[in-house]
Amino acid sequence: MLEPSLDLYGETFERVEAVLANLLVKSHGRYALIVDRKGFVLAHQRAVWAPKPPSLDSLATLIASNHSANLAIAQLFGENAFHESVQQGTDVGTYVEELGSEALLVTVFDGSAALGKVKLFTKLAVERIRELLAEERGPAPTLNLDEGWSDGAVALMDGLFGKRTQP
Amino acid sequence: MSTINFSAREINFKIVYYGCGLSGKTTNLKQIFEHVPGESKGEMVSLQTEDERTLFFDFLPLDLGKVNGFKTRFHLYTVPGQVFYNSSRRLILRGVDGVVFVADSAPNRLRANAESLRNLRENLDEYNLTLGDLPYVIQLNKRDLPDALPVDMVRSVLDPSGTVPVFEAVAAEFQGVVEPLKAVSKLVLEKLAQKA
Repeated sequence: MLEPSLDLYGETFERVEAVLANLLVKSHGRYALIVDRKGFVLAHQRAVWAPKPPSLDSLATLIASNHSANLAIAQLFGENAFHESVQQGTDVGTYVEELGSEALLVTVFDGSAALGKVKLFTKLAVERIRELLAEERGPAPTLNLDEGWSDGAVALMDGLFGKRTQP
Repeated sequence: MSTINFSAREINFKIVYYGCGLSGKTTNLKQIFEHVPGESKGEMVSLQTEDERTLFFDFLPLDLGKVNGFKTRFHLYTVPGQVFYNSSRRLILRGVDGVVFVADSAPNRLRANAESLRNLRENLDEYNLTLGDLPYVIQLNKRDLPDALPVDMVRSVLDPSGTVPVFEAVAAEFQGVVEPLKAVSKLVLEKLAQKA
């Protein structure tokens, strides 16, 4: 596989979600997301007091793309990467930490959170998640895509787009 | 390369619209956004210059629905077509599952089409991929131009072997927009089914 995602499944997934929830409590962040380098959301948590988040798809895509662009800029200067990735607006900011080579941990925070705490607890969360992923786990689930799977997906596409053929 | 999230029961695919500048990549996404029902699409994100040329990418998430209990989703991206944005194009190709190559039918864009396709091959090579590895279709856009090149002529340049599905389109009028997306999506799904 060219671009592996984190293997998050079963009990590990639940424990990672608990780590994200704890990160939000300790840092007073609004949202915590794990996104893969392609921009897909792998796991996310929202603080109970936080307003409804914007589209997570858009957020994950922009975070992953921005991170890739920053990496390319760093490499232009002979750096492996920029070690800090903080964006701060008037009300909201984001802090991004690499989670291995496959994913990113993003903490979205507002003025009620101290940036130092956000950084500290995000780094600790990354360490904890790495430990969880390194532990012995049961086998990864397998996809059982029978012959009807592809047909079912195509039928859904027909429903979405209408049955069109080459003009 | 698809991202399978077993816990959330989601399968995500990344489709990239590639092609030379002003060939109509963003127009494709805009038309899809306009014509797909609201519950099946997310926000469209466009990172553009002031004169509405794509600077980094356009992005549109589509939700197909559930297949075998898995939510199946397509993330559609365009790349910036202008020659000097190659770094951005390369970044967008990361983790690509399928490509729609949008070719311009204008006679004076034939060379630009060919160069864009060569550039696509070079950028895929950075990820140790070839076009042969990927679900890939060609959309021949702007067929309404009075001097549009014959399909066979463009095909002979972009696909001399005649093996790649080619779709004629007038993307600005939503003609031939859905067909290449459906075709490449189907190829992507079939590829995953073969691998599973």
